Amino acid sequence: MAPRWRKATRDLLARPGRTALAILALVAGVFQVGAMLYKFALLQPELTTMYGRTDPAAAVFTTDVATDDVVDIVRRVPGVGHAEARPVVLARVRKGDAEWIPAVVSVVRDFDAQQIDTFKPEAGAWPPGRDEIVLERSALEFAHIAIGDTVTLRLPGGEDRAVRVAGTVYAPGLAPAWMEHVVPAWVTWDSPVRGPADGSGESAQIRMRVADHALDEGYVQEVADSAQAALERAGHVVSRVTIPPPGKHPHADQMAAFLFLLLTFGILSFALSMLLVTGMIHGLMQEQVREVGVMKALGATDPQVAGIYLGQVAILAAVALVIGTPIGLFVGRVYAEFSAGILNVDLTHRPFPIWLLFAELVLGVVLPLLVALIPIRRAARVSVHEALSDGAGARAFGERPFERALLSIRALPRPLALSLRTALRHPARVALTVAMLAVGGAAFMAALNTAAAWNGAVENDFAHRRYDLTVVLAEFQATAELDRTLAAVPAVAHAEYWPGASPYLVGPHGVSTVTATMLGPDPGSELLRLPLVSGRWLEPGDVDAVVINQSVVKNLPGIGVGDSVGVRQRGRTTRFPIVGIVKEIAPMPAIYAPPGAVRGVTGRVPGESRSIRIVSRSHDDAGQLRAARALETAFEAAGIEVTGMHRMLDQKKGILDHLVILISILTMASLIVVIVGAIGLASTLTMSVVQRTREIGILSAIGATPRTIAGQVAFEGLLLAVLSWLAAFVLSIPLSWGLEYAAGMIFLRMPLPFSLSPSAAGTWLALVVVLALVCSFYPARRATGLSVREALGST
Amino acid sequence: MINVRGLTKAYPQSAGAFQALRGIDLDIRPGEFVAIVGKSGSGKSTLLNLLGGIDRPTTGSVKVEGTAIESLSATALARWRGRRVGFVFQSFQLLPTLTVRENVMLPMDFAGHGPERGRADRALELLDQVGVADQADKLPAALSGGQQQRAAIARALANDPPLLLADEPTGNLDSATGGAIFRLFATLVAAGRTIVVVTHERDSDSGVQRRITLADGAVVA
Repeated sequence: MAPRWRKATRDLLARPGRTALAILALVAGVFQVGAMLYKFALLQPELTTMYGRTDPAAAVFTTDVATDDVVDIVRRVPGVGHAEARPVVLARVRKGDAEWIPAVVSVVRDFDAQQIDTFKPEAGAWPPGRDEIVLERSALEFAHIAIGDTVTLRLPGGEDRAVRVAGTVYAPGLAPAWMEHVVPAWVTWDSPVRGPADGSGESAQIRMRVADHALDEGYVQEVADSAQAALERAGHVVSRVTIPPPGKHPHADQMAAFLFLLLTFGILSFALSMLLVTGMIHGLMQEQVREVGVMKALGATDPQVAGIYLGQVAILAAVALVIGTPIGLFVGRVYAEFSAGILNVDLTHRPFPIWLLFAELVLGVVLPLLVALIPIRRAARVSVHEALSDGAGARAFGERPFERALLSIRALPRPLALSLRTALRHPARVALTVAMLAVGGAAFMAALNTAAAWNGAVENDFAHRRYDLTVVLAEFQATAELDRTLAAVPAVAHAEYWPGASPYLVGPHGVSTVTATMLGPDPGSELLRLPLVSGRWLEPGDVDAVVINQSVVKNLPGIGVGDSVGVRQRGRTTRFPIVGIVKEIAPMPAIYAPPGAVRGVTGRVPGESRSIRIVSRSHDDAGQLRAARALETAFEAAGIEVTGMHRMLDQKKGILDHLVILISILTMASLIVVIVGAIGLASTLTMSVVQRTREIGILSAIGATPRTIAGQVAFEGLLLAVLSWLAAFVLSIPLSWGLEYAAGMIFLRMPLPFSLSPSAAGTWLALVVVLALVCSFYPARRATGLSVREALGST
Repeated sequence: MINVRGLTKAYPQSAGAFQALRGIDLDIRPGEFVAIVGKSGSGKSTLLNLLGGIDRPTTGSVKVEGTAIESLSATALARWRGRRVGFVFQSFQLLPTLTVRENVMLPMDFAGHGPERGRADRALELLDQVGVADQADKLPAALSGGQQQRAAIARALANDPPLLLADEPTGNLDSATGGAIFRLFATLVAAGRTIVVVTHERDSDSGVQRRITLADGAVVA
């Protein structure tokens, strides 16, 4: 090997600590990019194609009956590709005497011939027997049920039926059970779960696919209209037509956000590691300036000198590539599997990522070389004379206005003044280190701020709903009878009966658009006071005034206080004047109206209800659970069938769970960014000590103790940490705003209220201070370990 | 060998330009052993740097073997330096991570001197010539100052340059070792090389054929 290449390798070996740091920085970049890209490569095809592979329904008709004859009517409509009956039983399930959990039980005509909203066997028996049920696989853990267990289904008629869990299926078209807090289940066509033969125990649903243009929502709407007309011509009642967004998984937005964040943080941390490499190479070249001068004096040309140092970078990058790539791929795969598990996605393709290896080669070797080219070229161009002069290339302290300002601070004790001036002597290096740590810190704080904003928004929303349970009954019951039943339950402190409805919102041209929830709280009720965006809340004396939420505004753009909103139910449209707009985290349209107005829509009369808001004596989880069980028992004893028992804390947890993945990704990714920043800090401090070796010798010679010198290094680290914290705090403001906005828009279709959590800032400050002290340990030890002779002899 | 005309060098400083050389005219013949002497700050190292092309004059010209080195590009100057000039520094400047032999091979490597396989042998010959062949495979830190300077001289001879420039080569050595270095220079001059050495007055009698004295950037004797 030619001497110059020996020099390249031995220089690296001569400084094992710094070489290790440089490799670590590069490994962090290679690892992060590898992990993120591989995870992206594994997840992206699944997340974008799995929904399509389930042959999702283009439209779902809720009719009076879903027999084969009725399905045939839909199948014969031009443009319809296929239609299947898939009646749905809205039940509740529990194992033993555990809490009831809502269950959506779909009835399947033929498990082996399904062509719409398909699912496939996962474990256990397939298809289930007549008295059996299969569950979506994500439901097992959520509901603490195992294959082979016998569970109780409480059916719409109030009947409890024991069924055996025959197995699990994988239904990637559905959101995971944990996310929706609902157990998806399937039974056979002849299952007794279906209830009476008149179909009263189920929602008769027919699912339809279009023959072509499946992603054209307008075309789908046309075909669905034709099918609805055909059904109605045949004398059937179509109570609802649902057209899901074509080709879009129910949680497509979360998945898109998930992938976006993966790539963003991958790129961010790689960019940081490149910055770190630039900084390290810059430091190395400053150290090597005299040797550069000697080599040039011996006849080395600029490209020859640059070649030596580029060779060093290539060696570092190659080592980092060899270390970082397999770790990145391994972690990427593990993380992809973990994320896939959370999203209930199967990784069906696990190709060996040749393209990724190529990308790693380019990003891990070529890019560092390109990045290093700048400081190396600059250093290689230094003149021999400048390189060999004492204090080569050094600029005298005090030339810049900032330095003069530092000099003018006379009040500082001399050692502190020296520490301060020393720390800030290389503004570019300080800026680079501060920037690296600040970006990591800002990302970290933004992740915590977003979590805090999300928690705050959810807490705030639930704080405006001052009840503990919502009980939904199968049938309307006389409120007097309900009062009697509730009075016998000591766990119940207070109850209110709010009528509800689920009408269509009527759009600008009288067209029914989406379904809205209509709720009729007593205007004087203290149980519901939602925060107003404009206008006012319902008041006693209101007859038909309504308050809408912002999701209604989103669906009917331009609508506001003073306008009217139209709803359609039972074939007629009713319009209500809007007196207020409220903000709530639910992304579904909701209309709050006086009870009489809601009854007007549903055609019900006062004095009866099937929906009760309960305030329990104790509001904690155990108290709510106790009240729920007592209510179940009391209603059962009174012969009143309960179809839904929703605990507010459980609902709150369900909403909070939606952000689990996002926050876990943000925190993990930001921690990797923080690690890169910490390496940068350690490298900067080491470099600072190396460059000040002679100065340290002088200090020792004139009486500075090792403690004083170590203190100076630690001070420099702390100063950089505090500066980076300030920068991170400032940077975290727009970053948090952006993330909170994005998280809100993705999950709630409205921005989260902007929140900066003091605990996020405090946590990062504590972390960065600890990091600074840890990072300054080795450089400080190095500085104090130098003898005066060694230090003064250093060139 | 060397023709210097109207050579000046000024360094910009915050307090105004510092005039290191003020119009030097100088001729050095081939095979001559010349000492440049003068007090600290007289400009002798600056002059040596300009002769070797490691710094550029403010005005004036330096011709070495007929080549006006101030007109060469940075790359051409580096190549010229590698082939035509050997440098010896006061603090030896051996690269610490290369062995003594590798240090000597390095200029050959840069200049592409001779076949690659023969460079190690040539390095050993040169080290033998200066009396430190037995140290060839050691790192510089393991050598005494005198041995390091001998190795540095061997390195300066690596590409067989006709001109050797030495900047206070005995400044870091004891007088006995310094004397030996000057005797080595005298041997090299006897073999036909031109040597210009910046040195203190006390060394300048050690076989030096001509002495040029500088004071305040000008030749005074």
